[in-house]
Amino acid sequence: MNRSSTLLLLAITLILIASGILVLSLGGMLDSAQDLILRPISAIQSWISVRYTALSDLLSSPGDLQSLQARNTELEVEVAQLQQEIIGLREEIAETEILAALLNYARSKPENRYMAADVIGVDTSPFIRSVWIGRGSDDGILAGMPAITERGLAGRIVEVNATSARIQLISDPAIAVNVLLQNSRADGVLAPQRTGELWIDLINQDAQISPGEIVITSGLGGRFPPDIPVGEVISVRKRDFELFQQAVIQPTVDITNLDIILIITNFRPFLLDGSE
Amino acid sequence: MAYIVGIPLLAFLSILQSVIISDIAFIDGRPDLVLLAVISWAIIGRHKESMVLGFFGGMFLDLLSGLPLGVSAANLILITYLVSFSEGRFWESHFLMPLGVGLISSLLFYVLQMTTVFIIGPSFDPGLMFIRIVLPGTFLNLLMILPTIQLANALDRWMRPPAVRI
Repeated sequence: MNRSSTLLLLAITLILIASGILVLSLGGMLDSAQDLILRPISAIQSWISVRYTALSDLLSSPGDLQSLQARNTELEVEVAQLQQEIIGLREEIAETEILAALLNYARSKPENRYMAADVIGVDTSPFIRSVWIGRGSDDGILAGMPAITERGLAGRIVEVNATSARIQLISDPAIAVNVLLQNSRADGVLAPQRTGELWIDLINQDAQISPGEIVITSGLGGRFPPDIPVGEVISVRKRDFELFQQAVIQPTVDITNLDIILIITNFRPFLLDGSE
Repeated sequence: MAYIVGIPLLAFLSILQSVIISDIAFIDGRPDLVLLAVISWAIIGRHKESMVLGFFGGMFLDLLSGLPLGVSAANLILITYLVSFSEGRFWESHFLMPLGVGLISSLLFYVLQMTTVFIIGPSFDPGLMFIRIVLPGTFLNLLMILPTIQLANALDRWMRPPAVRI
């Protein structure tokens, strides 16, 4: 057998093995093997990620003491302002609670429980917008759990291994989030574009939307809990000949710079087969 | 020896791709360390090894990606086979010829990935993807291919020192 035939035979054999693995993986038969391989890989990924983040923070932090002191003063002022706001908000919450009690308002929404997770890497394919976190099924993470930051919705868990999980970001075109425009009360669906822009599509033509309007999750479909901030409308695209109008939004979460993510662990998404 | 060094190295490069390389994006494209390593190994003439390493490198990439396991492995095997197909015929004639190999390999790698995403995911504009991901990614790969080949050559010499007649 000459050299080119050997190479061809090797290529065909390896491609057949890869195809076999592909089929088994799509059938979910390699999950435990994947877990086993990903355990050490995730550990190394976490180790490198922590050091890389620390190094990159160090390099991007202010270089001299004077600017650090100035920044500290700024932050102290900001903290004082925020504390004042918290006091005001607490007063409002107390008032709301009294009003709700008076109206005998049924509180059906349970208190969310959160689990913090470090972002340890991003998807190796540039065509898929997702990140890896350093927590997995060992910590009780399940597929479908929403991922948020203190600013709003970041995505949802789509793949879970023993020690790591993959979060599909709200900028991934494959994600579908039912949203509500807070002022106009119009429903829509988040439609991320490959350019990175986030659009809200399927908004009724009659809805009066204006830039600056806050977009939150509607909870429709049961895949995300309601009332999580998603973004703010920056422009509206309305054409008379179209059935729906669209809005371009600025996400509240900086999805290009995620370090820590909170997973809502007590939310069970409603799946199409009716299970939870 | 090549597999003992190569497989852990490819695992490490996949992790670097996931943790660090995302910060070196040009538009939405990024250099692909595993692709560069595998095709460099093929360009220096280690064809059989590069195919096996392409299989493992692709598996590591898929483990850290939303792509189905095996897709990148099949892509890399195909690419390394194509690189080996014209062994020693034209790219050894000029030192810049590896750039041509890098260009074709990189484009093919992205097009195959894009096709997979198109099959498994939502519809998208291939032209836009080409401009935002494929071309910038290919450009970054081309910037890195020549130094990577030098590194591959150095690694090869370290693993297989030339026989010396005394």
